[in-house]
This record gives sequence, C-alpha cells and structure tokens, in this order.
Amino acid sequence: MKKNISGKLALITLQVLLLPFLTGCWSSHEIEEVSLEIGIALDKGYLSSIDKEFEEQDGGYQKNNNITITFQTVNTKGIGNNSKGGGSSEQHSYLNVSETGDSTFQIVREIPLRRDHPIIGHHLKVIIISEELASNYSIKDLLDSYLRDNDIRPSCLVLISKGRASNALETNVIGEIPSFRLTKMVENGYRSNKILPAMPLAKLTGKIQSESSFLLQNVISADGEVKLTGAAVIKGKTNKVVGFLNEEELEGITWINGKVKGGVVKSSVKGQIIAYEIKSMKSKILPHINSGDITFEIKIETEGRLSENWVNRGKPSDNKFLREIEKSIEAEIKSLMENVVQKMQNDLEVDVAGFGNKLKIKHPKVWKEVKKDDWDVTFSKLPIKYNVEVTVADYGAVSSD
Amino acid sequence: MWKTIASFLPDWLIIIQSLIIFLIPYFIWRFFIYIRERANIATIKQESENSQENTCNFTGNLNSDLKFIKKEIGHNSDVHFREFNIGNTGIHAVIIFIEGLSDKDLIDKYIMKSLMIDFSNENISAFMTEEGFNNIIKQQVLSISDVTNTQNLNDLVMKVLQGSTALYIDGSADVFILGTTKGKTRSIEEPISEALVRGPRVGFTEKLSENTAILRQQGNIKSLSFIKFQVGKRGNKDLVVAYIKDLANPDLIHEIEKRIKKIDIDYLPESGYVEQLIEDNYLSIFPQLQSTERPDRVISALMEGRVAILLDGTPFALIAPVTFSMLLQSPEDYYERWIPSTLIRLLRFLAAFIALLVPALYISFISFQPGLIPTKLAISIVGSREGVPFTVLLEALIMEVSIEILREAGLRLPKPIGPAMGIVGGLIIGEAAVNAGIVSPIMVIVVALTAISSFAIPEYNAGISLRVLRFMAMFCAAIFGLYGVILFCLFLCSHLVKLKSFGIPYASPAVPFNLNDWKDFIIRVPLMMMKRRPKMMKTKNSIRQK
Repeated sequence: MKKNISGKLALITLQVLLLPFLTGCWSSHEIEEVSLEIGIALDKGYLSSIDKEFEEQDGGYQKNNNITITFQTVNTKGIGNNSKGGGSSEQHSYLNVSETGDSTFQIVREIPLRRDHPIIGHHLKVIIISEELASNYSIKDLLDSYLRDNDIRPSCLVLISKGRASNALETNVIGEIPSFRLTKMVENGYRSNKILPAMPLAKLTGKIQSESSFLLQNVISADGEVKLTGAAVIKGKTNKVVGFLNEEELEGITWINGKVKGGVVKSSVKGQIIAYEIKSMKSKILPHINSGDITFEIKIETEGRLSENWVNRGKPSDNKFLREIEKSIEAEIKSLMENVVQKMQNDLEVDVAGFGNKLKIKHPKVWKEVKKDDWDVTFSKLPIKYNVEVTVADYGAVSSD
Repeated sequence: MWKTIASFLPDWLIIIQSLIIFLIPYFIWRFFIYIRERANIATIKQESENSQENTCNFTGNLNSDLKFIKKEIGHNSDVHFREFNIGNTGIHAVIIFIEGLSDKDLIDKYIMKSLMIDFSNENISAFMTEEGFNNIIKQQVLSISDVTNTQNLNDLVMKVLQGSTALYIDGSADVFILGTTKGKTRSIEEPISEALVRGPRVGFTEKLSENTAILRQQGNIKSLSFIKFQVGKRGNKDLVVAYIKDLANPDLIHEIEKRIKKIDIDYLPESGYVEQLIEDNYLSIFPQLQSTERPDRVISALMEGRVAILLDGTPFALIAPVTFSMLLQSPEDYYERWIPSTLIRLLRFLAAFIALLVPALYISFISFQPGLIPTKLAISIVGSREGVPFTVLLEALIMEVSIEILREAGLRLPKPIGPAMGIVGGLIIGEAAVNAGIVSPIMVIVVALTAISSFAIPEYNAGISLRVLRFMAMFCAAIFGLYGVILFCLFLCSHLVKLKSFGIPYASPAVPFNLNDWKDFIIRVPLMMMKRRPKMMKTKNSIRQK
C-alpha cells in the first residue's frame, strides 16, 4: 500500500516537472525566419505601381498615404552560399521593401502581409529622413516609434536626405550593403572636417527634449552613389528642418564647436594653392557679459602640417614664409566661421554651434534671463569675435620649394 | 467595505497560478526526499542480512584436516598439495600453495629443502612437545621472513588464495602460513590518463603494496600513515587510507574510516566502487572524490591535509575531500612558473565555461535574442543557416550527440585504426553534413569548440559531468532563451553551494569566501606567497613555509 502511494507521488512529480515543456518555446523565432532590418528611409508618401495595383484590387485599409517607409533587409540568399558558388554573385546582398501609410509603426506591421519573413529591428543601423518629410513633420513625431521600441538600439544613426531618402539605400556595387556604407562613411570624420560627429538616436532624444536647434548630417544620392554633403538645420522649437548648410558652412561649424578630428584647409599664398592638414585643434567659445550685453569670443588653436605647397620659391623652412602661410590659413578658417555665423544669424536665425550651451554653463543666471525669449532670435543679434592661431609644426619630407 | 477589500484581492487564476508555483518546488523537494528514503531503506535491509561466518578450527590430525581443506579448495586445478616427511623423523607434513601465485623457487629452496634434507635430529628431544617443535621449525628451519600461524580453516584458505604457502605438520593444529606471494605485476609506467609535460613519469600500478611503496619513496615523510582495511564480503581486498598524521584533521580521518567501514558489498573491482559508496551526494552530477594515477598528486594533496584512499587492484587512488576548483587544476600548475600557470589556469576556467554554456548561448542567441550578436555575424549566421531543415536545438543535438558517439567510439576502437576512424568520422560530420545542408558550418564550429574545451579539463570525470550539464543547459536555452540559461546557472550554483565533500563545501574558497585560499584558486600566486596550507582543510599545522 505504501509503495503504491509513493509511486503515485513520483508520477505526480514527474508530471509537474514536465509542465514547463508543455508551454513550448513561445517566443522562439529563429534568426533565419525573420528579416534583419538594417536601414530605414522615411519619405513623403507615394504609391508605386504595385501599390496602386493592390489598391485597385481592393487591398489596403483606411489611410492618407502620408509616409512611405523603405526597409532595407539583408538578402540572405545572396550571402553565405559562397561555398556553393554559382549565380549568387549576381544578386544584390540587400533587399528594399517599401510600404506606405500614416503610422510608422503600423507600416512595419504591414510587412508580414507581403513578406514571409517579418522584420525585426535589433540590427537597425541607420534611419534616413527625407527633407520633404522633415520640413513638414516634426522629427520627434517621425522617430517616436523608433525611440520607444526597445528592440532598436540607441546607437542607430539618423541622417537627412535632401532628395528621396530611399535612393540613399541603393547601390550599384554587388555585395555592398548601402546601410553599412553610410554608417562607415559617417565614421570617416578623422579624414575630413566636413562630416558631423555621428548623431545616434541616444543623442537625438536629448536634443529633441531640450528644444535646442541642432544639425543632422545631410546625404545626397544619385544613381546608386551617395555623398555626405553639408547638414540640415533643425529648429529646436518645431523640430522641423528649416534650412541646409553647405559643405563649407559645415566646415565652419566644426571649427567653432571644436569637433575637427582631421581634414584639410585649402588656402592660397601669392595666388598659389597651399593645403594645410589639421593634426589637432582646440576651440573655445567664451561668452562675455559687459553691463548686460552678451558677446562671444571664439578662440581656436590648431596645429598641423603643410601637406601641399604650390608656391614658387616658397621655402617652408624659411620662418617668414611659414608665418605667411599661417596667416593665410588663419584668414581662411576665420572666413569659414564668419560665413556660417552670418548664415546662422541672418538667414536661419538659429544657433546650432553651441553658443547657447556655453553661455548656460558659464553664466547660468544670464541664461535664465535670456531663456525667457527665444534664444535663437536673441543669438542672431549678438556680436562674435574670432581669434585663430595656426601653427605649422611640420612641412613634410621636402624642405625646399 | 468588503467590496473595496475584494477589489484588491487577485483573481482566482492568479491564486491558482501562485499555488502551482509553490507546489512545483515542493514536489521536487518531496521527490528527492522520497528517493533518499528508499535508498536508506535499502541499506538498512542489507545491514540486517549480515551473514555470520562459520568458524572452523583444525584438529591436529593431518588426514582428517587435509580432507577438510581439500573439500574447501581441493577441486581447484591450480591448488597444489605436496605431501612429504620431515627429515628422517617420519613426521608427515603437507604444503599447500597455488601455482603461479607463489614463488616456487622459494618453496623449493627454503621450505622443502630445509624441511626434508637440512633437517637434523639434533634437537629431537624438543619434539616431545608440540609447542617446542613448532618453535624449532619457525626459529631454526624455515629461513623465510614472513611466517604466521593460524588454526582456522577460513584463514588458511584466504591466505593460500592470496599466494601464501600453508605448511601443515601432522600432530599440530597450528598451521604455518609462509609468505611466498609473488603476484603478477607490471612495471611502473607513465600514467596515461594524466600525462604531463613536466613532472614525474611515475604512475601507480595495480598492486597496493607497490603503490604504498611508491608513496613512501616520494620523500622521507615520517608521519605518513597507512591504515589498512579489509573490504568486500565475498572477494576480500585490501584498502589503505593514507594521510599525514600531524597535518590531517582527525575528524576528517574519522569520517572517512567510518564510511569505509560501512561499505558492505560483495566485491570491489575498482576504486570507483569505493568512490560511489562513500560519496556525500549520489544524486549530484559532480565527482566528490578525485581519482588520480599520479603519486605526486596524491602526496601534494596529503600535504594539504587531505586523505588518500588506495585500493588493491587498481592504479587509481582517491583523494578526499574535493573542491570544484581542484578539478580544474593540474599538478603542472605548481611545477611551472606562476605567470604561465595562472594564465593556463584561467584558460581552463574559460574552457569549462565554453564546454558548459556555449551551445546553450548559441541556441538562445539564434532563436530568442538575435539582437545580441554583432550585425555582421548575425548576417553570416543567417546566410549559413539558410536551407538548414532543423531548428537550432535539433541541429545542436544532432551534432553534440554525434560528437559524443565519435568520442565513445574512438575510445573503443583498436589503436591502429582509432585515429583513422576519428578523422573519417570528423570529416563526415564536419564536412559532408555541412555540404549536404543538414547542419550549418557555424554549428560545427560551436560543437567542435565545446568538444575540445571539455577535453581541456584535466579531470576526465569532471569533463563528463560538464558535458552532461551542457545538454541540460541546451534544453533550458531552447525553452526560455537567455532567461533559461540564467535559470540553469542559478540552479547549478545553488546546487554547487549546497554540495559538500566530506564536510568541505564544494565551491570553497569562493563560497564560503576565504581570501587566503584564493591564492590557489583561479590564479596561482608565486610559491613564496603560499605560506600556509588551505584554510578550508582545517589542518593541525597550517604553516607550509616561513
């Protein structure tokens, strides 16, 4: 009798132990059964011929077709089959899917209606927003679902495209993935000072919340090629794109806020070209308060090398000539900065170079006062002084000529 | 008012769920208690069935006693009875020995010859008394060192079967047992299962007396003590408990002796039997005694205050108590300089981690947390898994099981074709399965890595237990993802912390924390800094060097 009871007990225990197996693997979706989205392009709504066809056949739901989102996923059929060789090399290694609608999140969930592999956002690397969309809608609203989504990493980059954003997700090079190309290009700041420091989602939330104006890297595209050119200016009050800075103006911005890691300054001495390679730079924005009036002073110290010299009989080993070169580079940098400040103050009426932030840190009481009015407007009337100091530390392997 | 209270109370569903959540561990607990009780009942039953030995003494009459002995062992072909007369006295005598086990040279030259030819009549007067006669035989005639007496038949049979020669002289109930054992032994060889680059090339053999001798030779350790036990009811065997008297904790020795005395079994073919019969928790997957073939390992364990158990007939000695870290340590850690030793030891911890968790982590990354792999790797994994017909768990199981089969088969295969078959098997599994699209190449890498890692663990049985646990981890990962892996680790940790080996916590010195013992745990500090013996051993004398 006793043995019977213990046998029953063992049986019950076994059943209880087997309970977790009944539930199954409810959240298990194997990696090859989902699509990894790596890039997203947000465009103003437009319907492709296929979309129109679908709508004619009564597909679709109640929507205004405000936004078209292009999802770039990895075409796994083009990858990993290298060992088998053959025709796979002719295929692109990415796959772009577009879907039109009003809510960015709903558009994502429309994809399973059209594709066997639903899209997951864990590996999203870049979001490109077209200028057309960003000047009509607030960036905050456009990116809201991505900022909320805890699958998407905050390291995902945000770029603005002057043309159609989805074109930036195209390439003609077989095997290249456009989203990866863009993220790598943004990392090239150590070779050029025309590239803004990367603006990932994590930094962007701060900018959006603080209502201060900021810049986003602009990317243009033509025929499968892309280029980083200038930046889009986003006004803090509205979070909409209000204008663009061209490449030279962007250079001025990077000089002012000290974000130069490398690059070239082209200048001329005696009408001939010289090129200065930036090795290091320090920039200081000093806010001064004189009886209630705010003035700014920009102090820049830079050291670099003379990389190119076309000047006849200009010997860099000659100190006098070196002074001359330095003077001309200083003037060039100064004009770059003046140029962009002029645009910021007069044309766009925004402060995207961080003047307000410096004032906030150095003179918090004054900041509290000026904050009541629109800082961007106040800023546009403030005088700014420049102070540039260039040292050519090195003129390379050739000393004469 | 009741309504407001009721609104705060949870649903019936939640109450039922919480009840189930309570009941699961309760039933697990009850289940193990039930198993333990059953085991106890079984042992009690065995104890009550103790058989009493029949004592059977000799009478002194050669003919009747010889009949008696022959009835007992005479049917064996290898037992020899040689009857003769002592000298010219006409006293009848018989020697009984086993061919092959006893030294025939010795018997011929120093027993037969002294008794038959060299025997003189000078002390004939002393023959009057039985005692005097025996004394003369013992003191003057038999020129061999090991002579004992017995009057008991069982004793005689036991000794003869071990290789001694029994000398029965008519008229005396006192039978001489002459130590003529010359068992078959092999030469001392390098231990196969624990090969080292640097270190002594000596391994234990199957003969207990030789093994204890090897231990004695390890250095003139005055207080090295050997306590002998007889184990096995039907097939009697010698078992020696070795320890260093002025180091080892007396409580520990007492405990081990107690457990060995409790062993009540027919026969012990190998020290693994002893291990399983005296270990603390037979439901645990971890080995709670360390088995080793290396005398240097035994001696250094004894020097730490541990105890060794040596069984006749096996080259594997047992060391107790054991901590988990010991299973990841090799004697070479101490022979080589401390920096490389520390790095290698860290590497072994890493290998243990890989052997235990890597397939589980792979499964959970692939099917639950794809966001945790770097993007490029994720893409190449997706590409390689394209077309694989199985889920990750199934794929991993197929590969793991086939690797285990390959390992097991490699062990059995005859030496000349072993490596060849290993290569063929490895190639078929690795290359052909990938080409056929049954498994993905990354899975092959994962499985190969874990297989190699599990062999990097110096202790073979620790490697096996990690391998078994790996399968559990894989199932946990397949059900719950990383969450399941964490649960598995928690479960494992709670078991490790609770486990004890002869009173020493298995996870020490990590838990209970003891900073001093960390000097010889994950890292191995320079010898100059290891001034004291492990604190956890609670030795009598803790100073190793000054």
